[in-house]
Amino acid sequence: MSQLTPTRPGQKSSQRSRTWTPAHVFSVVLLLLVCLTMLFPLFWMITTALKSNSAIYQIPPRLWPEEFHWENFINGFKAINFGKLFLNSSILAVLNVVGSVFSSMVIAYGLSRIRFPGRKVWFYIFIGSMMLPAIVTTVPLFKLFLSIGWYQTWWPLIVPAFLGNPFFIFLAYQYYFSIPLSIDEAARMDGANHWIIFTRIMVPLTRPVWIAMCVYAFQGSWNDYLNPLIYLPFSPEKWPLSVGMASFAGGFAGVAATRWNEFMATNLLYMLPSLVVFFVAQNHFMAGMGALSSRSSK
Amino acid sequence: MTKKARPSDLDGPTLAPLTARKSPSQDSWLGYLFILPGILGFLLFVAYPLVTSGYYALTEWNGATEPRFIGFENFRYLFQDDPSFWPSLKATGLFMVLSVPSGLLIGLLLAVLVNRNLPGIRMIRTVLYLPVVLPAVASLTLWKFIYNPDFGLANQMLGFLHLPTRLWLGDVNLALPSLVLIGLWGAGGSMVIFLAGLQAVPKELYEAATLDGANPTTTLLKITMPMMSPILFMQLITGMISALQAFSQAQILTRGGPNLSTNFLMYDIYVNAFENQQFGLATAQCWVLLLLIVALTVLVFRFSSTFVFAENEN
Repeated sequence: MSQLTPTRPGQKSSQRSRTWTPAHVFSVVLLLLVCLTMLFPLFWMITTALKSNSAIYQIPPRLWPEEFHWENFINGFKAINFGKLFLNSSILAVLNVVGSVFSSMVIAYGLSRIRFPGRKVWFYIFIGSMMLPAIVTTVPLFKLFLSIGWYQTWWPLIVPAFLGNPFFIFLAYQYYFSIPLSIDEAARMDGANHWIIFTRIMVPLTRPVWIAMCVYAFQGSWNDYLNPLIYLPFSPEKWPLSVGMASFAGGFAGVAATRWNEFMATNLLYMLPSLVVFFVAQNHFMAGMGALSSRSSK
Repeated sequence: MTKKARPSDLDGPTLAPLTARKSPSQDSWLGYLFILPGILGFLLFVAYPLVTSGYYALTEWNGATEPRFIGFENFRYLFQDDPSFWPSLKATGLFMVLSVPSGLLIGLLLAVLVNRNLPGIRMIRTVLYLPVVLPAVASLTLWKFIYNPDFGLANQMLGFLHLPTRLWLGDVNLALPSLVLIGLWGAGGSMVIFLAGLQAVPKELYEAATLDGANPTTTLLKITMPMMSPILFMQLITGMISALQAFSQAQILTRGGPNLSTNFLMYDIYVNAFENQQFGLATAQCWVLLLLIVALTVLVFRFSSTFVFAENEN
């Protein structure tokens, strides 16, 4: 996260002071308390996942399980056909990542590196469509997809991704802009066309931004709840994990009393890919955030 | 986007050099070929649904038969007869008023706290950001468990402190604040953006102020806050827009209850459209939501000129 902004010479001064003033001690203690508060629900989740069913209802509660019930993971796994749902979520996530990142990179290339009349207008149109709340388009799209037979299929969850994501277009556009145009010109002298410039020069040069976009796209797809809920309500075998987990918790179809220990075990498994992606690509994730705030709102 | 109000906003610096740039050749058709997916996406998933939704809002339509034109009857019904529409506006407004300022305040405080070179600070930032990364369904169902009135963590902690236990999500007065609290668990999201802003403030400003004998409060009010105001403003707008679209909390935790106290507008739209098959009515509600978002955004933009500091204003 220190990569949020490039370190400039003037920034050294803040790193010099390591003397422990009372203000320092106070803020460290405060931060640790906040961290504990933030982590406690997760800690509670993990211990619940390992408790026996009766231990959950025990009052006063035990912070640490008396004995570890690892079988909760196996039982929960079987209870909602977790493997199938996990596979569904994974396929949807991969398609969404590939589709939205690739199409947005191509579109942003066209907008920023090729000169043609109307590109400014289209830039504003794409960026402007970011402002539109998705729900306004949801009902007409539902009717459209219904009429072409896409209800209860994955198509409505996949196809839109391949036609560009305004936020990604904006991010990539910003990034392309920092690359000198003389690079393109040199490549064109050597006989490269736009497609070659895009694939051979721009894609390698813009690695940080498209990795960040992949992370966002993965999170977006893995977390998406409303769209699968709308388009796949009667197809449990096609559900992604988000809908499956909500259903397991009794939120969707009012399924009978939940076995919370098994639920928390599978819920942990559901979270795991998000956490892994976050920790692996953390710097890119934060860099994207930083680019967003420091370039767009400053 | 009102360009006049904020010349330094996202369109300004990015597009200005564009016109000045020399290009090797005019490749109109190639340019359009590259942006073709975007144009298709815009026409199919933005323009077409936007126009047709304008029509659907004026129809009665149950999804099975063809839409029947009824003029502004949907809007009249919403504002005069619908038992859940006004409660949904109230719940949404209350949620926005409670969650947005508190979320921004906590995010800003956290950003100020973690914007120092303390041992382990990267770890602390990561922990604070962690709840944001979790899938919404995973964290919401976790909170459903925590708020369980019989054995949930929330009540067990109250019991530990010898305080009376609560119904949390089942209590008319407590359900909405309980959902706000879940949102605050994710304050790390705005923390990260504020942090990026804090780190972008030129350090020379602080050094100059310190030389002039300014105390921390003065630097906070005279340097940090003005320099941060554009980010604060952006965060305010995006925060309001997302609060207006709160949905999953109501769908997963409360089903809009108790007594419609968490019946968010988005949830009411969802129920009308996809549970009651009243697509015309739901579309009309979508337009109310859209107009609310536009009105609030314009209002905040207008108001912003008084407090947002723009470095390169004319």
